[in-house]
Amino acid sequence: MSFFDLPIVTSGPAVSGACASGGCATGGCASGGCSTARPDLKSETSRRDFLKTATTLTLGAMSLTLLPGAMAGDDAVPPASKPSGFPSHAKKPMYGFLIDTTKCTGAGKCLTACRVENGVPEGQARTWVERYVHFKDGRVEVDLVPEIGYAASGEPQPAAEDVLRAYFVPKLCNQCVDAPCNQVCPVHASIKSPEGIELVDTDRCIGCGYCVQACPYGIRYMNHETNVADKCNWCYHRVMRNEQPACVEACPTGARVFGRIDDPDSEISKRLATLPTSVLKQHLGTLPLTRYVGLTDEVT
Amino acid sequence: MTSFNDTRHLWALGAFLAAVGLVGMVVRRELVPDDFGRQGPYRASALADVAARPSLFQADATCHACHASVEHERAGKPHEAVRCAHCHGHAVEHVAMARKAAEDSSIAVPPAAEWDGDFLTKIDLYVTKDRATCLSCHQAVVGMPADFKKIDVAVHLEEQGASEPLAKDTCFECHGGHDTAP
Repeated sequence: MSFFDLPIVTSGPAVSGACASGGCATGGCASGGCSTARPDLKSETSRRDFLKTATTLTLGAMSLTLLPGAMAGDDAVPPASKPSGFPSHAKKPMYGFLIDTTKCTGAGKCLTACRVENGVPEGQARTWVERYVHFKDGRVEVDLVPEIGYAASGEPQPAAEDVLRAYFVPKLCNQCVDAPCNQVCPVHASIKSPEGIELVDTDRCIGCGYCVQACPYGIRYMNHETNVADKCNWCYHRVMRNEQPACVEACPTGARVFGRIDDPDSEISKRLATLPTSVLKQHLGTLPLTRYVGLTDEVT
Repeated sequence: MTSFNDTRHLWALGAFLAAVGLVGMVVRRELVPDDFGRQGPYRASALADVAARPSLFQADATCHACHASVEHERAGKPHEAVRCAHCHGHAVEHVAMARKAAEDSSIAVPPAAEWDGDFLTKIDLYVTKDRATCLSCHQAVVGMPADFKKIDVAVHLEEQGASEPLAKDTCFECHGGHDTAP
């Protein structure tokens, strides 16, 4: 007998006499055919037991694959030191980046410094500098500062008498607190470090490019030498050694300022306290840590 | 026949599910890095991997450790803020070599080369006395801040009566590189 042959209440001999004990006021018994006997209590219990056992086994087996604890085993880290949730960032230093568009001269020294420091392939960039030129006739033109500088590039320049105002806007990773690029990574290769700096785990990255599309600022790119995502990480390796990011170190005019925003005596804290600053694309709610001085509505 | 007593199927089902669970555990152990999730939803050791990258761009302090005279020459002058690397190359190999030479006197640090005129040059350390280097910052371009010292090179050289306006070292007839006072 297989369990498909389990008795059911309408199946003739098995249910004989059920009503006699008063347990069949409702259900199948009321429709007749059950006047002589009640179902075998033992078989009812077996079905319930079966369902209980099967469910327990199934859920138990499935849960084995889900428990991280089952996988970690008893390796180097004792259970007490394992964090129960995401760590508190409160005690880590908080860094900030300030860009003063009124000081940038468009020499492009930061671009070369970044390329050398981070091995960025030519033709791609972790940081760049845009120039916004407002002409007197109302046009606004945007171009990119050449890495070798305007003088050496030989690009035709707008005549100064046609220009109402013009300014340079360096762009780099905004290190959003609520970073869209981090959220879309399918393999957890996007890392928000405890210091709040967004990094790429190049060993994990599969090069799908979702993060490149997700970044509303266009900071991320697919490195065509390594074929994984790459981005400005505020020179994380330098910051961890208490050095300035390469572009900040290279800037001769102080247009790029980097430092700890949790230290009121740092230069960036003092400048943030005295200058009106804004962020790019504030309406997206990504909460960038890179702040700008002197942005206009044209800059996005 | 009313009782259910064929428990063999239950055992088979249980064994099957246990096997699935076991295979799942093995596959997961293989695919998930050991330190995944220690600090957050990522491989914790990736932070150290990123931080292990060497610092290549030299701060001026690195250069001044040996070339102290240049530090004094530039102190308080406009070019104090200009980085050594902008005019002399990134000097990554030079610094590494100089550090070795400081410990082992038998190592000779090779002298700086002449600049090849390419701003993206692969030359590690070079000397530039070239107007192109000066103009990469000081050639007047729309967009520069009002208080930045910029020149329209043709006008400036004519005003100053440069003997050979197009010569490489024309700027250095009047200005120094470190101390720029005319």
